[in-house]
Amino acid sequence: MSIKSDLVPEIEINNISKWFGDTKVLDCVSLSVTKGEALAVIGPSGSGKTTLLRCINFLEDFQEGTIKINGEYIGYKHTTTEKNYRKRQHERDIALMRTKVGMVFQSFNLFPHMTVLKNITLGLTKILKQSVSEANETAHQLLNRVGLAGKANMLPASLSGGQQQRVAVARALAMKPKAMLFDEVTSALDPELVAEVLDVIRELIAEGMTMIIVTHEMSFARAFSHRVAFMAEGKVLELDVPEKIFENPQNPRLISFLERFHKGYQI
Amino acid sequence: MELIINSIPLLFKGLQNTIIMSLVATLLATVLGILFAFIQIFSHFFIKAVVEVLLYLIRGVPLLVLLFMMYYSLLYSGLQVDPLIGGSVVIGVYFAAFMSEVFRGGILSIAKGQWEAGYALGLRTHQVVGSILIYQALRIIGAPFINTVIMIIKGTSLVAIIGVTELTFVGRQIVERTLEPFLIFSLVALIYIVMCYSLSLLAQHLERKIGYVN
Repeated sequence: MSIKSDLVPEIEINNISKWFGDTKVLDCVSLSVTKGEALAVIGPSGSGKTTLLRCINFLEDFQEGTIKINGEYIGYKHTTTEKNYRKRQHERDIALMRTKVGMVFQSFNLFPHMTVLKNITLGLTKILKQSVSEANETAHQLLNRVGLAGKANMLPASLSGGQQQRVAVARALAMKPKAMLFDEVTSALDPELVAEVLDVIRELIAEGMTMIIVTHEMSFARAFSHRVAFMAEGKVLELDVPEKIFENPQNPRLISFLERFHKGYQI
Repeated sequence: MELIINSIPLLFKGLQNTIIMSLVATLLATVLGILFAFIQIFSHFFIKAVVEVLLYLIRGVPLLVLLFMMYYSLLYSGLQVDPLIGGSVVIGVYFAAFMSEVFRGGILSIAKGQWEAGYALGLRTHQVVGSILIYQALRIIGAPFINTVIMIIKGTSLVAIIGVTELTFVGRQIVERTLEPFLIFSLVALIYIVMCYSLSLLAQHLERKIGYVN
């Protein structure tokens, strides 16, 4: 799958490291995602995939390195004049940067007290200051797009997992983000509901949305992402096009990961 | 029967003060309780430590002792404060220490994912609190909040000791005149029960109204 982009980096991760106490969970990770590119991140549990994703919209802080979204730093201020100048940005600026990246979580995290419609319009009315009618119109369009046109007035609890996850995608898309982050979005779903969510992501890729997809859906990563990064022990050990990652892996850790994946559960 | 009919208007006069004190104390306990809860969760280590020590002190002293301390310190300092107001303030501050736990528990019980979903959208902390947290916390806070209000109402009976003419105080006055303690205090108890039970019903109604399937 080729990237139809002018190779402008939308997300630039430069040498970030993060510790939880004494444990180094991200070890000098550098990645760059160009405009319109879908990067899949695979790897064993505890390899730092989710933490990396959470650092990108600063749900987690990080001790070293920089992340830029659309050319602007997120999380910390840096200057070119003073070396090692690093200061946490104001909450207002961090919030503003977050509107540029949509995030979809493994456990949906819809607001249970709000209808589907309100879940989607909340950001539009509170942050983008749109009128209720304008926001509702956008929400209805997005619900249509994710195949949930008739569910606007329902509460999240009355929807299936797959439907809830599609609402979560619509909620993130409503803010018109520059990039999307998907954090194992199908891991909490029944196998038969996985496809409906992946279909929505596939359409977004086709439309040229920049995204990072942390996933265990190897066949999806292989078929639809532009590049795949393999992470283990907080490092990106291999980064290449899907064909190479899955058919000609180089790193021994990746080879054993894929072998175990293909082997699956055997009695 | 005649005694009951004659006593009711007097008891209702006392009831007025009970209601005023309950309202003032509930308002104060709620405002301070929310403030203390937010300080305990969000604030700087030093302020948090000061508030926590204060709360342990308040919670560790019986309400009656606090009322006596307030009464005698006012007496010796020569300050002219109506015991009705002084009593309400002491009860309000005392129960603020309990309310703060009610609110703190409510806030902390909101799943981390709800905060994160709000932040990920680009909301700021006060917007997450105002649009997401409060509504979800209300469901959890509702029952223990009403429980504390019921304790406040019953707590107001203690100010009878420092001479406020509230419901229990008036009951005692009638008993001293009529020597019918069982009848009069049963009547007093009935009035408290009606007030507290009505609140419980209100709590159930509100819980249904703001309820959603989680």
